[in-house]
Formats: sequence, structure tokens, C-alpha cells
Amino acid sequence: MKKTINIPIGSQHIALLEPVRFKFECENEKIVGVGSDVGFVHRGIEKACTTKFKFDGIGYVVARVCGLCAITHSMTYTASIEKLIGGEITQKAKYLRILLLELDRVHSHMLCLSHTCENAGFEAMFMRIMGDREDIMEIQELITGNRVQFDYISIGGVNRDIDAAQAKNILAKLELLKHKVLGYIDEFTNNWSLSLKFKGIGVLTLDDAYRFNTIGPLARASGLQADVRNEIDYLPYDEVGFNMQTHSDGDINARNLVRLSELLNSIEMCNNILEGLPEGEIFTKLKGKPKGDTVVRFEAPRGELMYYVKGNGSAMLDRVRIKTPTFSSIPAFSHVFMGADYADAPAILASFDPCLSCTAK
Amino acid sequence: MKKIEVSIESVREKIKEFYDYKKWHFLTLNGVALEDDMLEIQWIFSEYAVKNEIVVYYAHVNCDEVIPSVVDIIPSAIISQREIVDMFGVNIEGSEKGLYLDEDSQQRPLRGCSI
Repeated sequence: MKKTINIPIGSQHIALLEPVRFKFECENEKIVGVGSDVGFVHRGIEKACTTKFKFDGIGYVVARVCGLCAITHSMTYTASIEKLIGGEITQKAKYLRILLLELDRVHSHMLCLSHTCENAGFEAMFMRIMGDREDIMEIQELITGNRVQFDYISIGGVNRDIDAAQAKNILAKLELLKHKVLGYIDEFTNNWSLSLKFKGIGVLTLDDAYRFNTIGPLARASGLQADVRNEIDYLPYDEVGFNMQTHSDGDINARNLVRLSELLNSIEMCNNILEGLPEGEIFTKLKGKPKGDTVVRFEAPRGELMYYVKGNGSAMLDRVRIKTPTFSSIPAFSHVFMGADYADAPAILASFDPCLSCTAK
Repeated sequence: MKKIEVSIESVREKIKEFYDYKKWHFLTLNGVALEDDMLEIQWIFSEYAVKNEIVVYYAHVNCDEVIPSVVDIIPSAIISQREIVDMFGVNIEGSEKGLYLDEDSQQRPLRGCSI
């Protein structure tokens, strides 16, 4: 039997600025065993949702689960409550919700791609993408009032409308961004650091993607046609130009390319929404208190986000269960690490785009 | 959402019969505290490429009962089993404590029944 040594990544590591620890058992350079610890900053938000806050305020609490996908958390919770109390919101509110969800995906994917560049030692590209990401942050601030952690979605609709001048301003910024993304695709396809170096590294096969219930860009990069936007009808994704983006290689390079394709598709959806925004109110007063239970899912930037909500007809809920994308992907992450070279572990980890703020909700 | 009640003794068998891993996506294991020291344990699935198709297998168990593991059927269930063990203080076969909570943390924070 060969001698094995244990090497940790985290809980604080230069390749990942979040509190997670993977413990790798290595034989020479190969990883032959993986352990994980994600419980460094558990905040008890599920408990707070049923003991400290009434149901109509929880949408703003769960937006604090994660700074990057705050809008998806408040959207998923709010849709759960709207399902339980019944009633329909306006088409305009639905379109504005998709607009914010897709802008959120754009800035989150840009963050992931920039960190991928940083891990590859391509710091100029990291700075370029982070600089360009400011445009999206400015659009989000223009629409919601905040750069992150937006309190934009409320039970019955959204909290702010946009006018024609704002829409024109946003369209112009998105057009500029689209050209920048096309430049990224050129770099990620042709630059040695960002394509050849990542080809064949950290591979997840299609069968293993199914077997580990993989979600989000990690699944789609392996050819698994799974995207919650294709499996729900609470929001009219089929009207705004949604197209599922997949790849078949299942490696780090494929994950980068899926995220890049999704950037273009999200920008296209935002353009379609702004050019065809329906007339009408942005808010509908919905009466009643939640009773019964429901499961609602949305596609966060890292994959499927699920809320289970149970109400009893009062203002306090019986149960709020939050299933976040990174948390449910940990078994798949561990599987991908097995057999990889330890030297590739930081790049593989970055390609998962893990979010520990969501995981330790 | 389709809810299917099963006994805790038969849950493994029912899920094994039902779960085609290329058709059904396992979302998570969930727990809901009920009255009288009881819990509802849920195994939640969605169908790939079908709109709004959610199936929930559930069983009512006493807080002290041993809950069978489904990890050999659904490998990714290991992480949510460990979460439920910490949050509800239940005993799921083969699932260790300590994913989220340290020994000096408040234990079983989501369990409604008496400790």
C-alpha cells in the first residue's frame, strides 16, 4: 500500500475566500479520499424564519442568506407564499422579476469567471471582468436602489417600477456588456491559461451528473439538460427568450463556456424584457395568510434553489426549509475531486463557483 | 405537489421502486416538527424537463425512531441526511452528527418536541 498524506484546502485558503474545508487524502499527487466541512458560519436563518419574523417580512430576511443570489432567495420564498395564499400578480411584475433574476445571474457568473482567471494566474483578466461587472451593479442599483441584497420583490409584485429613460439607459449598458462578453469568449476559448490548461481537468461525466443529482452550470457542462427555468411556470421564461445552455465535455473549460453562453442568453432576455415590458401595475394586494405546505424552486446562478414552506393560517410559519445549490452539490464536488491531481484542486474548486454564505444559511 | 405517505419501515423499498435516477431528480431530505414528539420526514423529488412535477414521499416518525438511510439508492442524499440529523437531533442510519453544529452549539434547533 502506498503512503498517503492528508492535505487540507480551507477553512481559509487563498484559492477560495469562503469558509469551507476540504480534506484531501493524497497518494503522491493523486487525490484518493475527500472529506468536507461546511459548518463554520451557520446562522440559523431557518429557525429565525419561524420564531422571529412574520411571513410578510421573511422575504427580506431570506434575501440576507446570500449577497450574490439575494433576489433568487426572496423570489423563491415570495412565490411560495403567493402559492399558499392564492392570487395572481400582474404580467409586468413577472417580467420585472425575471429582469432582476437574470441581472443577478450575469453579475454572479462574471464574479465566478473573474475568480477562474485569478486562479489561473491571469490577473489582468480578473481585473477586466471585475471592472466590467460594475456596469451590472450600477444597473441593479438603478432599478432596486441597492448594488447587492436587494429588497425588490414583495408578496404581490415588485417594489419599484422603471421608466422609459431608465430602460433606455439599461439597454445601452447591456449592449456594451454584450460586446465585452464576446471578448471574454474569445479569451476563454483561445488563451492557453483559460482553455487548454482547463481541458480534461475536473471532469464530471453525464452519468455521474445524473447519479449525484447535479444542478446548475456544473450539470449543464456535463450535458445534463436540467434548468429550473425550463421546469416551472410561475414566471414566463418561454416568452422572454430563455434557451438552455449545455456542453458535453464536463470539465472546467466546459463549465466556463456554459457560464459565458448563459451570460449572453441572460443579456438577451433582459433586452427582450425591456423592449417588450407590458403595461400595468407592478403590485397586486394579496390578502390572506399562508395555510398548507408547498415546494417552490428557482434557478439561482449556481443551480436549483428550493424552498419548502408550511403555514398554519397565522402570521407565523411552521417551517421554512431552504435547500441551496452549493449545499446539495457537495457530494458531486467530492466525486469530481477523486482521482484528480492535488495541484488542480484549487482550479476545480473555483469552477464549482461555491457559495458558503448560502450553504451555511 | 404530490404527497405520498409511507411507513418508515417501507420507505426504502418504496423509494427504490420509484427512483429512476435519469427521470427523477432528488431535491432534498426535509424534516417538519409535529406535535406530540413526532416528526414528518420528507424525501422530495422533481421530474426532469417536466413543469411543476414535484413528488414528496413522507413518513411520520417518533423523535427517537431510527430512520433508514437512502444513500445506497441516492448517493447525494448523504449531505441532507447529515443536515437533518443536526437540525432535528434524529438518528439516521450511518449519518454522523456535526455537519453544522459543534458540541457546544444549541442542539436540535428545529425540533419542536421536548428534549
